[in-house]
Amino acid sequence: MLRKVFRTRRSGVPGLVFWVCLSVVFAPFLMAQTTGTGTLSGRVIDASSNAVANATVTAASAENGPMRSATTATDGSYEFDGLPPGNYRLKFEAAGFKTLEIPSTTVNETETAVLDEKLEAGEPISEKPTPSQQDNLPNAPSSIKTEPSLQDLGFPPEQTQANPREQALLDKRTHMLKIHQRMGLITTIPLIATVATSLNAGGKNTSTTSRDLHTALGGLTGDLYFMTAYYAIRAPRVPGTETHGPIRFHKVMAWIHGPGMIATPILGIMAFDQKNKGERVHGIAQAHGPVAIVTAGAFGAALLSVSVKF
Amino acid sequence: MKRNILIALALLAFPALALAEGQWVLEQCTLTYHVSHPLHQTDGVSHAARGKGACHAGQCDFLIAVPVKSFDSGDSNRDLHMLQVTRGAEFPIVTVRTRLPESTAASATFNADLEIQFAGQTAQYKQVSFKLETQGGETHITGTIPATLADFKIDPPSLLTMPVKNEIPVRVDMTWHPQ
Repeated sequence: MLRKVFRTRRSGVPGLVFWVCLSVVFAPFLMAQTTGTGTLSGRVIDASSNAVANATVTAASAENGPMRSATTATDGSYEFDGLPPGNYRLKFEAAGFKTLEIPSTTVNETETAVLDEKLEAGEPISEKPTPSQQDNLPNAPSSIKTEPSLQDLGFPPEQTQANPREQALLDKRTHMLKIHQRMGLITTIPLIATVATSLNAGGKNTSTTSRDLHTALGGLTGDLYFMTAYYAIRAPRVPGTETHGPIRFHKVMAWIHGPGMIATPILGIMAFDQKNKGERVHGIAQAHGPVAIVTAGAFGAALLSVSVKF
Repeated sequence: MKRNILIALALLAFPALALAEGQWVLEQCTLTYHVSHPLHQTDGVSHAARGKGACHAGQCDFLIAVPVKSFDSGDSNRDLHMLQVTRGAEFPIVTVRTRLPESTAASATFNADLEIQFAGQTAQYKQVSFKLETQGGETHITGTIPATLADFKIDPPSLLTMPVKNEIPVRVDMTWHPQ
């Protein structure tokens, strides 16, 4: 079904200023019109009126002009803009559907041609084709005169069909992991500062101020760390994906710095109390320093594993 | 007599015509994209491309297609990010179309105009150079497609707030055989 959508103009609003503004705003559009190109758009649906995404729409000029291709979006829509006016032959191809050819559609400068098409489900190819079918098979000897189509290549449907739900999942995953990455970088700053101030916080000659500073920085690091971890843990998993490569090492490191980030402040509080009482750090609290070093090391290694190749 | 000569000529010409209407099948293909980042260089490889060529009246139309998911950069996380930025779940197949004269098969090098559909966009590459080598009935073609992210309206992904370069050249190594 070919619908013609005509552009209309409203007039009658007085005032020179209005027209000057209108001219400035619409100058690009007016210039585009004077270059002499048209637009062809439409929507591809199946027999149940569902959108057919990822269908290939090819527009070939009947005057041997340029050939253009577009892929339909998730709502089945496609658009060709900047087409030289003339008659176009259109071909609609989608995995699992019969190829549809429209011999001629007119595109001109003043109108947007809208071509909505319905695709029929493709017929399965029998194992032993009849002679008439054989002529239509991609490998038939000499009678085929059309260019190969995606269906000829024999990809399984799950490889060619669009999956908007998976795309949405990937978008959410990337969004959360971007935050995870940025938060991880930010966390590195107080983490380094905490490790640096630990030199004055432990040992015999320490002051309450240096211990307080170390504790405050450690607390900030912990808060940022758990926010960072949240975005990695809550990022959606993509089904059917096997983890391999440096990301595997990154995840292994998380199993070290994760528990370390819980243990370090607990041990730190114990050590802090002992120090404030004027005692030497003793018992399990003595592990605060070594656990913190292993945790910070694992955190750094996790960061490096996704940043540089080694 | 004349009629016999014409029939003989027609019979002699028939195999040549049959060949002219022939088909090509992609036997083996390795596609490798290269991404540059200030911190490291990455190559993503796919061996899953399929292709066919159909010849008619001295011209051959070729179609090569590869699933976006089939590219492996050696890191599953990076591949998932690649799939996301290229909208690989919505547009799961990359297609390359070209038309070449049949005489190209006899050349050592050739230039091809390519039409690539990827990430829901179509880009044209004019006069891309390829090397061609025919051996034992198989035709080996190598070349590099000078693709960029901007050609397909892909926002350059970034790592540690540093974006990758716009250029993503794709190395092509294909073996075709006639059918």
